[in-house]
Amino acid sequence: MASKSEWEKLDLTIDPDSDEKLFFSDHEWDTIEAAAARIIPTDRDPGAREARVIVFIDRYLSGINYHYATADGSGFLQLAGEEARAARARTSEFQRLYRAGVRELDAEAIRHGAEDFVSADEETQDAVLVVISGSPKPTHVRLDEHEVFYSRLQGNSDTGKSFFDTLALHVRQGFYADPVYGGNKDQIGWKVIGFPGPKSLKDTMDGTYTTAPFFVQDYDWKDLLLTYEPPTDDN
Amino acid sequence: MVKRNDPVDVVIVGLGAGGGPAAKVLAEAGYSVVGFDKGPWLRGPEHYSGDELKFQNRSYLWPDVDLMPRTVRSDETTEGRIFNFSPVPSAVGGGTTHMAGWTPRPRPSDFIMHSLHGDVEGASLADWPYRYEHLEPYLTKVEWSYGISGLDGAEVGAGFRSKRYPSGPLGPTKFGEKFYAGCRKLGINAMPLPMSHLTERNKLGRKAVNRTSFWNQYGDPTETRSTVATTYIPEALATGNFEVRADSFVKEVVVDRNGKATGVVYIAPDGSEFEQEARVVILALGAIESSRLMLMSKSARFPDGLANDSGLVGKNATFHEYLFAVGLFDRELSPALNGFTGNYQSGGSMHFYETDYDRGHIGGGIIATTQIGQPINPILPGKPVWGEAAKDADRDYFLHSMKIGMILQDLPQETNRVDLDPTVKDRWGMPVARITNKPHPNDTAMSKWQIDKNVEILEAAGAVRTMPVYLGNEFTGNACHQHGTVRMGTDPSKSVLNEWAQAHSVDNLFVLDGSGFATAMGVNPTLTIMAHSWRAADYIANTYLKGRSERLVLDPITATK
Repeated sequence: MASKSEWEKLDLTIDPDSDEKLFFSDHEWDTIEAAAARIIPTDRDPGAREARVIVFIDRYLSGINYHYATADGSGFLQLAGEEARAARARTSEFQRLYRAGVRELDAEAIRHGAEDFVSADEETQDAVLVVISGSPKPTHVRLDEHEVFYSRLQGNSDTGKSFFDTLALHVRQGFYADPVYGGNKDQIGWKVIGFPGPKSLKDTMDGTYTTAPFFVQDYDWKDLLLTYEPPTDDN
Repeated sequence: MVKRNDPVDVVIVGLGAGGGPAAKVLAEAGYSVVGFDKGPWLRGPEHYSGDELKFQNRSYLWPDVDLMPRTVRSDETTEGRIFNFSPVPSAVGGGTTHMAGWTPRPRPSDFIMHSLHGDVEGASLADWPYRYEHLEPYLTKVEWSYGISGLDGAEVGAGFRSKRYPSGPLGPTKFGEKFYAGCRKLGINAMPLPMSHLTERNKLGRKAVNRTSFWNQYGDPTETRSTVATTYIPEALATGNFEVRADSFVKEVVVDRNGKATGVVYIAPDGSEFEQEARVVILALGAIESSRLMLMSKSARFPDGLANDSGLVGKNATFHEYLFAVGLFDRELSPALNGFTGNYQSGGSMHFYETDYDRGHIGGGIIATTQIGQPINPILPGKPVWGEAAKDADRDYFLHSMKIGMILQDLPQETNRVDLDPTVKDRWGMPVARITNKPHPNDTAMSKWQIDKNVEILEAAGAVRTMPVYLGNEFTGNACHQHGTVRMGTDPSKSVLNEWAQAHSVDNLFVLDGSGFATAMGVNPTLTIMAHSWRAADYIANTYLKGRSERLVLDPITATK
């Protein structure tokens, strides 16, 4: 029996500076890294390239060894049984999606007059992403616009999406996930947006990490609430 | 070949909010109890931490949708799509292991919706077969044993309470403070919502809640969240009368020739099938899976599913829907709101809970301001997904936005239902639950009115831009609340269970999750589910298993429409 409660720990860690490729070929690695750098570009702040998002994606696609960190982040969980089978099937699907995606990026770059996606300039790369995503390049959220939204079926999982949507989601995950997964190197992603995250996953388990200082420190419910009558009986 | 275990007094299927209290009450009363859960038995200090990717995106706790799928469709003629609809952790402790833990009490009006409003076209409104006053003692028992914090005297219009909260609430976050300011300005009564955790100097002598802010949908490594796995399960085990069988899937409730339940058939972790006999069978899998198991349990006596003489098993499903509005603040002008902080909720209101016909809908729901989220998954409707615009959206609004959500009280409709999908099977080869649902016009009207009100509060709080998210043309199950599929009532032709959540036609079958709720209430259901389970378990222990039966007689209601 391979209960999730008894999954073994694999003594694996990910070095974000590694150039060793577990899944991608050299060309695929360079292509996805270049695309990631257009999804979260480097500007006055670091972007996907500096955060080593490519390492995050490569390790995730390499099999099922890097799907779940152990709770304390000291290694990874070895999936077993039916869960392992299901995860392997999804990983195979992602591998196919990415392999085909790289070919698509190159083909579209060639149609735009470049040799391939990696060697295209940034404007051309963006134009390729516009074609592949099927939508115009996103514009800034503005404070003077108004738009309404409606609830719809959607989840946070990464399955059942197009190559571009999958890539955009994985790049985001690699930029902001806990650094144990290989991206967000030195918490670069968190620093860019001002998230004071934990130094390690272990720190979230034992009281070391706290966000209490980010709450309101001095307050009185009588001032905050419109109506508040503390009970005076002894119940 | 099916192997047999020694018979026990009580079998409980599902060890979440419904199963937990029943396990405690029955084991403490001296009965032998076996509890099943299809999920693993995970331990906080060993398995949980603040890993956003693992808990929010890679579904460590939720059922693997490829192994335990559900399908959903919006009407009878379309094919169901596989979707993780209303996911609840597949683990001992169920939803209580991951939930943010809003635990407001229901109001007296929640139990008498039909008496208050009569027949509403297109809906199947009904009164519950018991009332607030019958549940109140059990709400108090749960608050004081499970561990709930709240601010005594802050809820204007609350039902009677026999005892105060055992703990005060957490203080406000920065966005909570804004919410309170907006409400004050508009004359709205707000309050810190009751929550399933305790704070410093609580009267239960337990540790105060963890302050990592890795909260909603995370397991808690510090075990300071009140959950069934950290309270009622260990308490039941301490009696020596209770056994947990985790990773065990119950595929059928077995009945004898007369239609009395004799026990359950389950698939053990090694794949072999066992039969477990019992004097009483309790289902507490959640309203989707409890009705699914009943529909899978076909017999000569019940060809349409267990206890399904009325044909109502699976029907009248209600799911709530979590809807919200987001407010953006100008980062140049406004201090940081720190939307990543808090134990999800940081200020709510039941000001709009009771019916006001001028609003154009009946009923109402609870509202609250909640965390925006952690870096991977902050909520920003229509957020750009790539390029400079995407990066700027995070830089500009991760710390400078807030949201105010609502729990939509959807009206029951017979056509909103759970049945067995004709083609999709789970990992055990059994047909999965198919959800068919469409909002009632009242649901759509409530969503519009309340979300517009939330927008007003955001504006009063200083938001420069607001983004309303209204109910679309189908429910998404995003509240992870489920009720109504095995309806309670007094008339066996219009309900499946009686006032003890006991099947009309199978007297040793009880369904102790939200399945019995005749209407959805406008509050999060977990506190009510636990109290409901405790009340029924009290009846099972002290009346039913003593060979007696009782009926509850309700006083007539004078309508105050």
